[in-house]
Amino acid sequence: MKKHKVTQVRHLTDSTFVIRFERNGMEFQTGQFVLLGTKGAVDRREYSIYSGENDDYLEVLVREVDGGKVSSKLKKLKAGDLVDVDGPFGFFKFDPQSFQVQQFLFIATGTGISPFHGFVKTHPQLNYKMIHGVRKVEEAYDHDDFNKERVTLCTSGEKGGDFDGRVTEFLKTETIDENTNCFLCGNSEMIYEVFDILSEKGIPTSNIYTEVYF
Amino acid sequence: MKYHVVTLGCQMNMSDSERVISVLEEAGYQWTDNEEEAGVIGILACSVRQKAIDKVYSRIHKWNKWKNNKNLVTFISGCILPDDHEKFLKLFDITFQMKDLPELPKMISSYGITTPTHLNVGIDPHNENIEDFWNVQPHYQSNFEAFIPIQNGCDKFCTYCAVPYTRGREVSRPSKDIIAEVALLVAQGYKSITLLGQNVNSYGLDKKGEELTFPQLLREIGELGKRMKKEFWLYFTSPHPRDMTDEVIEVIAEYPVLGKQIHLPMQSGDDKVLMRMNRKHNMEKYRHIVETIRRIIPQATLFTDVIVGFTGETEEQFENTRKAFDEFKFNMSYTAIYSPRPGATSHRWVDDVPLEEKKRRLHQLTEDLRKHNLPYNESLVGQTVRILVRGEDRKEGFLTSYTEGKLTIRFACTDKSMIGQFADVKITSASDFSLEGELVEVAASC
Ligand SMILES: Cc1cc2nc3c(=O)[nH]c(=O)nc-3n(C[C@H](O)[C@H](O)[C@H](O)COP(=O)(O)OP(=O)(O)OC[C@H]3O[C@@H](n4cnc5c(N)ncnc54)[C@H](O)[C@@H]3O)c2cc1C
Ligand code: SF4
Repeated sequence: MKKHKVTQVRHLTDSTFVIRFERNGMEFQTGQFVLLGTKGAVDRREYSIYSGENDDYLEVLVREVDGGKVSSKLKKLKAGDLVDVDGPFGFFKFDPQSFQVQQFLFIATGTGISPFHGFVKTHPQLNYKMIHGVRKVEEAYDHDDFNKERVTLCTSGEKGGDFDGRVTEFLKTETIDENTNCFLCGNSEMIYEVFDILSEKGIPTSNIYTEVYF
Repeated sequence: MKYHVVTLGCQMNMSDSERVISVLEEAGYQWTDNEEEAGVIGILACSVRQKAIDKVYSRIHKWNKWKNNKNLVTFISGCILPDDHEKFLKLFDITFQMKDLPELPKMISSYGITTPTHLNVGIDPHNENIEDFWNVQPHYQSNFEAFIPIQNGCDKFCTYCAVPYTRGREVSRPSKDIIAEVALLVAQGYKSITLLGQNVNSYGLDKKGEELTFPQLLREIGELGKRMKKEFWLYFTSPHPRDMTDEVIEVIAEYPVLGKQIHLPMQSGDDKVLMRMNRKHNMEKYRHIVETIRRIIPQATLFTDVIVGFTGETEEQFENTRKAFDEFKFNMSYTAIYSPRPGATSHRWVDDVPLEEKKRRLHQLTEDLRKHNLPYNESLVGQTVRILVRGEDRKEGFLTSYTEGKLTIRFACTDKSMIGQFADVKITSASDFSLEGELVEVAASC
């Protein structure tokens, strides 16, 4: 476990923020997560790395969970504070060279967009499509960092996104080539449903990669 | 001075305690079975199970009361979550991590001279000095069965498991030391040796290019077995399906000393549950491994671990686990009822399968196992098999043993000198979980 200094906190909505902290030489592969907590705290949590492999800092995208032990403390961080970081961990690693077919579909709910932000930042030439499910339009976290034409924002709580409704409803209307490499990240309910839909569409299990947040 | 050590938890803690005992004996302390006459008492704790933690509290409160009447130094180590560690700092005189074990006698002798907090070190997940711990020659508890730690820690982060938080990062022990320990044990006449680790088959991945891979390590031990010309069986536990390569299976097939029993934790037979468990293997991968084992080592027995009633496990998902039992016909399953482990990710998720339902699922899988085991065991009747005698059986006048595939066989014999020896037994009858046989060459005193 190492101490890293926070250099910036960007609040994207009332509850969601990006914490940037010193990288201190940590090597990682985009898609991995770190264990993060405030300095000296007993509790730490997993957070996907939001920044790219080539950035000289590390970033995570965090949503404060109601009554959450760690996320509420992280929300109070300011530049100059220290955080405890351990990692990187995980096998949701992303190296486009290791895929025979260069065609990717990213499906996220909420802050589940975080690893995909890292993927795209690290590999800007990627042939991808992303479906991002949120409740409100304001939760389109840093969508400017993605190619607009490749992204579908599904809003379930209000109109104004690219699609009014849940990710799963949108996905049902889509045709997906069975060679597509599908990456799913976010809450398990969405991942379960999407897994079924993709299976029905003939995508083999070996082409589906998942990261469950809760 | 006399000492006593209480070991809680899994095989890994048991193996660690052999080294703790060895360090204390080396420093001149003498073992006592009676806690009350000990001047030093320690616990190897396990935060992974709530019951084990409850036992720590009841023990330490009792020992701390004894301190009113006598000098007593208490220590704690093992698999401890940061949260529990904080609490133990106040209750125990010494808390240390296994990697600092060689320093334990120094910590005990300087206790009272330095301040207690000086002796309490925080949890460091990096396991950098763990080699000092491995270099301690253990005090083996048996003279024919031994466990050798080959790796410590885990980087897999299954959502139901706290081990990555208690034991820190995966670190592989140098292969030359492992091979030397195997050679020493074999030379001393050990018959059953198990390589231990949270993820044995990811051995070497933390030192890619500098250390042997797991199949290479097995091959070296296989070659050692050939050179030493002594009979022994070498096992390993637990492997992770994610890192189980065809090469591992091929090497097991190639060398007679590599035990033809494979423990392959499945945890669930449903892909969605596996995703939520963050197991990073799916049923397709698991099926491939089992098919490879059946093709290359048809005589191998297959053991597994399964959790029933994991957060959100539906009836349909449980039925998929039953189907997997039908398909893979395990010889043994260590089936556990899911209970949230403090510190693990899933501890934060609702534990929504009612206990009664979890019990029903456990019972159902036990019945399924029974159903598949019986015909398999019956097919062995009439065969003569090699066995390792392990001790006296509960049935009077019988000894208990296991086959190379770790199937339990009892046979009529009262000659206790056979314990720890290999023998040949003809199987005469079978039940769902055990076999009975008769010695092919009867010892004079049986
Ligand atoms: C591999 C992995 C990567 C993760 N990456 C991220 C990330 O990049 N960004 C991020 O914000 N979170 C991420 N999480 C979730 C994160 O680790 C914490 O669970 C979350 O921040 C809540 O922690 P807490 O201590 O505040 O809440 P706790 O006190 O632990 O309470 C958590 C409660 O909130 C629920 N919960 C957890 N996460 C959420 C959520 N996002 N929305 C709604 N309810 C939730 C839990 O099921 C639980 O009931 C990740 C989780 C995992 C396993
Ligand atoms: S259950 Fe998973 S996290 Fe726990 S020790 Fe095994 S592989 Fe590691």
